[in-house]
Amino acid sequence: MRVINQNRSRSLTTMKLTGHRPRWRRHLVLAGLVVAAMVTASCSAAEKLLDVTDPDIINPTDVNSLEAADAVRLGALNRFALATTGATSSNNGDTEFLVSGMLADEWRSSDTFLERNQIDRRSVTTDNAEVELPYRRLNRVRLAAQLAIDKLTEFEGDSWKIAQMNLLLAYVENQMAEDYCNALPISTQNGGSIEYQDVLSTTEMFDLALTHVDAAIAGATGTTADAAAIREAAAVLRGRILINLERYADASAAVAGVPTGSGWVNGNSDNTTYVAAWFFNNSAARYSLGNGEGTNGLDFASTDPRVPNCVAGDAACTAAGAAARAFDPLTPQPLRVQLAWPTRTDDVLLMTGIEARLIEAEAALQAGNYGGAGGTLEKLNALRATVTGLAPLTDPGTPEGRVDQLFRERAFWLFGTGHRLGDLRRLVRQYDRSVESVYPTGAWWKGGNYGTDVVLQIPQSEEGNPQFSRAACVASEI
Amino acid sequence: MSTGRNEASHPRPSTRRLTRIAVLWLAVAAATFAPMRVATAQGRAGTVTGRVTEEGGVPIEGVRVQVVGTTLGTQTNQDGQYTLRGVPSGTQRFRFARIGFSETMQIVNVPDDGSATADVTMRAVGITLSPVVTTATGEQRRVEVGNAIAQVDAAKLTETRPINTLSDLLTARTAGVQVIPPNSTGAGARVRIRGTSSLSLSNDPIYIIDGIRMQSSTNSTSTSIGGTTPSRAQDLNPDEIESIEIVKGPSASTLYGTDAANGVIVITTKRGLAGRPAWTFFTEQGLVQDHNDWPENYTGVGTYLNRAGQPQTAACYLVRQAAAATSTSLCRLDSLATFNPAKDSRTSPLGTGHRQQYGVQLRGGSDAVRYFASGEWEEELGLQTLPSSERTRLDAAHLPIRDVMEHPNRYNKGTARTNLNISLPRNAELGLNAGFIRSFSTIPRADNNAQGWGPTLLGGPGLVDLDDLTSAYGFYDLGNVYQAENGQDINRFIGSVNANWNTTSWLSLRSNLGLDFTGRTDTQLCRFQECTTATQREGYRVDNRTNFLNYTVDFSGTGSFQPTPSLGSKTTVGVQFYRDVFNRNGANGSRLPPGAVTVDAAAVPGVSEATTESRTIGAFIEQSVSWNERLFVTAAVRSDDNSAFGKNFDAVYYPKLSVSWVASDEPFMPRPSWLDQLRLRAAYGASGRQPNNTDALQYYTTTTALANRTEFPGLIFNALGNPELKPERSTELETGVDFTLWGSRINGELTYYDKHSKDALINEIIPPSVGTVATTRLANIGEIRNWGWEWMFDAQPISRDNFGLDLGIHGSQNSNRIVSLGNTPPQYANPTDETAQVEGYPLNANFLRPYTYSDANGNGIIEPSEVQVSDELAFAGYSQPRTEISFTSGISFLQRSVRLSALVDYKGGYKVWNGTERYRCASFGNCRAQFDPSTPLDQQARAVAATWVTNTTDWGYVEDASFFRLREVALTYDVPQRWVGRALRGASRASITLSARNLALWTDYTGIDPESNYAQNDVQNDFLTQPPATYYQLRVNLGFGGR
Repeated sequence: MRVINQNRSRSLTTMKLTGHRPRWRRHLVLAGLVVAAMVTASCSAAEKLLDVTDPDIINPTDVNSLEAADAVRLGALNRFALATTGATSSNNGDTEFLVSGMLADEWRSSDTFLERNQIDRRSVTTDNAEVELPYRRLNRVRLAAQLAIDKLTEFEGDSWKIAQMNLLLAYVENQMAEDYCNALPISTQNGGSIEYQDVLSTTEMFDLALTHVDAAIAGATGTTADAAAIREAAAVLRGRILINLERYADASAAVAGVPTGSGWVNGNSDNTTYVAAWFFNNSAARYSLGNGEGTNGLDFASTDPRVPNCVAGDAACTAAGAAARAFDPLTPQPLRVQLAWPTRTDDVLLMTGIEARLIEAEAALQAGNYGGAGGTLEKLNALRATVTGLAPLTDPGTPEGRVDQLFRERAFWLFGTGHRLGDLRRLVRQYDRSVESVYPTGAWWKGGNYGTDVVLQIPQSEEGNPQFSRAACVASEI
Repeated sequence: MSTGRNEASHPRPSTRRLTRIAVLWLAVAAATFAPMRVATAQGRAGTVTGRVTEEGGVPIEGVRVQVVGTTLGTQTNQDGQYTLRGVPSGTQRFRFARIGFSETMQIVNVPDDGSATADVTMRAVGITLSPVVTTATGEQRRVEVGNAIAQVDAAKLTETRPINTLSDLLTARTAGVQVIPPNSTGAGARVRIRGTSSLSLSNDPIYIIDGIRMQSSTNSTSTSIGGTTPSRAQDLNPDEIESIEIVKGPSASTLYGTDAANGVIVITTKRGLAGRPAWTFFTEQGLVQDHNDWPENYTGVGTYLNRAGQPQTAACYLVRQAAAATSTSLCRLDSLATFNPAKDSRTSPLGTGHRQQYGVQLRGGSDAVRYFASGEWEEELGLQTLPSSERTRLDAAHLPIRDVMEHPNRYNKGTARTNLNISLPRNAELGLNAGFIRSFSTIPRADNNAQGWGPTLLGGPGLVDLDDLTSAYGFYDLGNVYQAENGQDINRFIGSVNANWNTTSWLSLRSNLGLDFTGRTDTQLCRFQECTTATQREGYRVDNRTNFLNYTVDFSGTGSFQPTPSLGSKTTVGVQFYRDVFNRNGANGSRLPPGAVTVDAAAVPGVSEATTESRTIGAFIEQSVSWNERLFVTAAVRSDDNSAFGKNFDAVYYPKLSVSWVASDEPFMPRPSWLDQLRLRAAYGASGRQPNNTDALQYYTTTTALANRTEFPGLIFNALGNPELKPERSTELETGVDFTLWGSRINGELTYYDKHSKDALINEIIPPSVGTVATTRLANIGEIRNWGWEWMFDAQPISRDNFGLDLGIHGSQNSNRIVSLGNTPPQYANPTDETAQVEGYPLNANFLRPYTYSDANGNGIIEPSEVQVSDELAFAGYSQPRTEISFTSGISFLQRSVRLSALVDYKGGYKVWNGTERYRCASFGNCRAQFDPSTPLDQQARAVAATWVTNTTDWGYVEDASFFRLREVALTYDVPQRWVGRALRGASRASITLSARNLALWTDYTGIDPESNYAQNDVQNDFLTQPPATYYQLRVNLGFGGR
């Protein structure tokens, strides 16, 4: 076989043979210089090579304007909706209102998920993801609202917008104090660093909420519709907080000017959120409407028009497009479906004038005026008169009966809006009821017995917070 | 918009680390050129030609011919001939090596500017491993490498075994490589090498194909069907692959750089060989069947008295049967109804699938240009089909039965590849490799999906209305489940250019440039008034289009010289750049009008966009020294920088040191006649895993908010970021011994490895009270350890002309510990997941609350009061197999024209959550343990513990999943050449293979199959999941031409 291109081969080897080291050295030096120059030049190019732009994220340095501050505010509104009444179009977790209502008697678990069964059964482990998410979402509102306040203040945003964020802060702080134990962790971040702060007792948390709601009222001084809506909502929330603090007269005074027809609107749309109760009950069938749950539960699936409902498969449910059966085949009763929000994009009203009247009614009860003029019964019946089919109430005649009557009215008027668990706790804490006389108890409907939980567990993920103490939390839950 | 690689206000660290890389590169370049003076003094060059044959004169193709002490080398063509130019004149030693033959050395006297001939005869031996392995610095002799590098002879396996996917080539083939094969047609596989090392990042190995990085993502889909997903590694056509090498750990993968800590799978596609065109036609026909034991669905029907004392009919659970006589819940079992919709021909969707494959390959060429070309088309119709009862129902309702409902699980693929190897003047070689893949798959909803076929089949009652067989199903009717179309389209191009230039006898330069481009389209469609839930029946469509681009730029140079006859030196320097881009545009729409199937027809349209990009630049130097061709020492260091590192972090450095000693070649070592070779080896090295693209960054994300019933864009604070973030760094020490005995009839390898992943990236849980959207933050605070043994013994006890017997046993045992979580709390998953991350225990250890039970009242029924559940979680075992052993055997007879081979696979030492049975018992309430009093007490107890006690636990469903499986059986007949030529004019060779996969299973696992797994994640998921199917295949190979 012939060697191809003998000349080339020869020319290569000739240089070696002649051993012209100086020439080779020159080549070597030259090659080295070229390489060095290339590498040095490539440094700046390489620096660029590693610069990657990710268009999916927003750099904090880009959030430095009045417009950006307002976008942060709007983001906080979205966080608030997801924490309380909203679900996205996929099954992405429960809201605080749903899980607190499940632990109480508003909802039953018609789900196969162990997490929801645990909640329904009042036997929640600290690793329960369906409790962890709502707890995170409440805190996300805290952070989002506080960031918005900081940014709006820095860029001199409208005072009503700052007031709006204070209102959200106050709302979730109050909700956490109502639903969780007596050792509430609050933390924040500063420039990416976590700042842990002392845990707060339930009372301290209510006080903090009161501070923020007062700031909201003070800030919403304008005459615009936005400012007025914030003032009215804040007044109702202030009343709710004061009721929690057992300052009944102050609570009544706080809500006195709120029109009965007012309310904060948590809206829903196809591009933002769906009504969470509709999603998890009517559509996904993982929640079923409570109906006399665990001996003490109220009959929400009755014919009371304030909580319209149907049974899966009946004409009303079929017409409403509701699920045909419970998600969990073990569910021993038919799926019961709420129709208070019959479509996914209905508005959900919070901090309503109705709640204001109920606060006044409770203040009257505490003042000893149940059946008299301006008393509890009168206020309750005034509300009932606004709904066709609700007969006026009569005075039960006993202190216990009156409390039962008031709290039943609250339960039906405020159904599905995150009040029921707080009310059960107040019945124990403020009205000396025993836990087993107000919470679902006895045999759980899917087998076994109810547990002993009275609040939602602060999740295990909080245990990385050095300020948080599980023992302190468990020691004083009510 | 943000700069992922952090802000320009922090330029110094980046400049500094780049400068360091530059200095390293210069240093290594200087080191490479250092030997030049010695080498250049060697003199003129000549040409050497020759022919390599077996004893008897049969030419051997593909023999690697190497001039010892230089970078010069080549391969023999189909006629066994070779030519090497530019060989330094004088006395040179030539090395000839090929798998199946004993390595041969020959002294050649090369004349100045002249030619020499060196013909060689090689001796066939019983068993050898490939004498050459592919490393990051190019091909290298196996004995020089201080690591165990596993090899898979893909070309041979695809012709003689039931190989349909890349995972079939890897499963149970090599020690230390664990594969959970896919269960559905078109699904991906999970691959783990030497255990699991990362708690927060992917534990998948990386893939290199023909010198370039390959897209190999698992769970590769943008739409969810519940669990089962494709993987991009499975796109490859096994018939195009020549060999696979598995670089197992950081001690060997150091020079592959950041991201290689989980091992590297190096794939080499087939190459042309000089000679006449050789055509190979092949076809494969196969059946896909289900032979699994699907559980019966139960309903216990009985009567009980309600509170009013009236008899009621109810599901008569055992706990009710055991209730006190005074209890109103006491139930008397009247009848126990069972139905198995998976086995009843009217309701079962489990039919017989069909697999077909047709391919042609061509290889040949001249010494100047060698080519390989192939084209192939395959289709697999999975075993699922529309059951007859559903067909009747849909027909009666005049509803259409589309093809996708007839065959809801299918996969088809067309591939084409052309590889050219061009010999250029001046000893340069250019390889041009181009492969194209076009595939389409549909996988029905399954697994963890209420609208999936698994829950439908496994969730029905035992009491069925035979006039309405929809009553046999769980959540939804199967026909409605199959109406949902879930498709994935792949268009993929993998192209690379490999250049190799032996500039002189001592210096070779090498480069690999390439692009792996994957275009993926994921679609979902539910037409108006089709599918399952009310929302879905409004109609919806998803069309997500994703591009993956993986670029590789790789340059290196190797300088070899031999200062003394006994001392050899090789220095390699290199620089590499990788760029990985992911970008997706998605469109979706819900509420479709009748007849509409496009996104824009939807009343509620939506869009999405996602982009991520990662870039890595690295440089390395490797110095190898050999002493008398029996002691080899290699030291190397690599430095990398990556766009995902934190802005305060400098470049990372990975060192490597390996020693290989062929002790049996030492004069002072006794050399008994039965000992052919004894080699001791040790290696230490480091590698890493880079964080994800935005892990280091603090950022906001966007949302849409509703204010006053109007939608506005909003911002939400998402992630805290971590400017100190750096790669997860794994170091590994590996030691081992290799031996060859009795004339290469026995080969053995024994390896011990100890791998520490320090700076392990832990997803530090951000306490919820902080309020960020991100729930975790990556931090380099953990430490993980993996250690274990690997062994491989192959023997050929009988090797005669007309009969041969070979046996093999490959195995591994892995131990795994979380050494430190960096002072962060243990990470327990939520109650339906059963694994936890706890210091002192394995990664993803099974942790649950244990229980005890006893039938205290002796009534044969376990009642809730007879089960005591602990309040404390306890370790229940590894979630990954600790031990894997594969047994292979083969018998050749009839003049070795017939070969029968089998592969038995054992995996053990781990527990899997039997989510299917747990869900059936505790959620569907249709398992035997809930109704049948004759159910064994342990099964009753676990059902009670998961269902009826207050503090429920799945402890009883986390089961020992050890198993033996008859993985492969194959019978191959090589038709005698004289017959082939007579039967088909021009044909030169033919073979027929009958084979089967997944033929038998032995296990105590009470689920359907211990390998049921729906995703490719670290923790196996057997949750209403399809068990593995059995494949029966016939393959015919027919060759023309060649030689």
